[in-house]
Amino acid sequence: MDYDKLLTLSSDLGYHLLLSGAEIYRVEESVQYLLTAYGVETGEVFAIPNCVIVSLTAPGQKPITRVRRVPSHGTDISRMEDLNALCRRLCAETPDLDRAAEVLAETVERPSHTPVAVELAAYVLLTSTFCLFFGGTARDAFCGGVCGLAVGLVLPFLTRLGSNLFFKAMVGGFCCGLLAAGLTDLGVGEHMDLIITGAIMAQAPGLVITNFMRDIMAGDMMSGLVKLAEALLTGAGIALGTGVALSLVNTMWGVL
Amino acid sequence: MMELLLPCLYAFLACLGFCVLFRISGPGAVFCSLGGALAWLVYLLAGPVMGGNDVLQYFWAAVFLSAYAEVMARVRKCPATGYLLIAFIPLVPGAGIYNMMEAALRGDTQDFLTTGLHTLSIAGSLAVGVLVVFSLVRLQRMLQRRKQTKQGDEP
Repeated sequence: MDYDKLLTLSSDLGYHLLLSGAEIYRVEESVQYLLTAYGVETGEVFAIPNCVIVSLTAPGQKPITRVRRVPSHGTDISRMEDLNALCRRLCAETPDLDRAAEVLAETVERPSHTPVAVELAAYVLLTSTFCLFFGGTARDAFCGGVCGLAVGLVLPFLTRLGSNLFFKAMVGGFCCGLLAAGLTDLGVGEHMDLIITGAIMAQAPGLVITNFMRDIMAGDMMSGLVKLAEALLTGAGIALGTGVALSLVNTMWGVL
Repeated sequence: MMELLLPCLYAFLACLGFCVLFRISGPGAVFCSLGGALAWLVYLLAGPVMGGNDVLQYFWAAVFLSAYAEVMARVRKCPATGYLLIAFIPLVPGAGIYNMMEAALRGDTQDFLTTGLHTLSIAGSLAVGVLVVFSLVRLQRMLQRRKQTKQGDEP
């Protein structure tokens, strides 16, 4: 068997699983299962949220290793489900390695794109309902929806430009703060703090901190710490952006 | 009654929004969002029982939600990840982490520590709730597998 191809296949699978937002344990287990299914008992895999390393020792050969860096990514559950199903299939059927690589490439290339309008509608829906959820009024919900629309327009744009996590959080927070303060001052919104907390939920900083706790308690210390840093950075970015926007609006309101 | 059901409805709609962003489509999206709404109902109902200790309320909601996710994963034959991610969003302390960092930027150390510890304890209790169910499910799966291999060896 060509062990190089097996290494490429398994590390690619791990890479794409991480890219689709799968948990660390799922990535490590899937790669391990795949290696075992192809008869390699000496395979090792190590994954953290932005890197996956696969290494194996073929009988009578030198150990071989492959490292794949994972760029910052979103979450794509439907792709993750596809990849998970593919991994099970490969483990059960163990097809020829070339064929397996083809199937993997097919699964990854399948476009999974949501239309922009639907995505924007989702942002508006979730921010306005979170405003209501936190106890806001209908007018607050409207303002929250406007903030959500702005965030939904700005975030994908920044992601496409490849800007980092902290900057994205900051710009998102800035938009929310500016619009919330502006709309409240104009008399449209009633509770500015509720509008802001509802609107920043679009960036979901709370998910990361819960996942951090889960990873730490499950024993994945490294990825847990990476996620803690991510959560704190996101939180700080949003707070900083909002703070700047609020002080800006206050100053301007004072001048006008 | 209404003050119980309305937040759950909002939680459902918010989860539906996140389903689109995380690319879950079809019936899966509805089941995920339903999980979020039911988990919030559990949280609210646990309030009087737990004597207003919200950390424990979050714990029970997390236990319920993970059990729901495992059941749904079995029924629909797909990973529980989607359910655990999306249905958790109404529970996770997103506002908490924002308030915490906002206090830090204001230079209010006392407020930073208070909200920070509260946020961390909510995240911790959610994580414990998930892990308890997760570990139990794993344990049961391992026992089942061992039983099967034993039966395979005997004949």
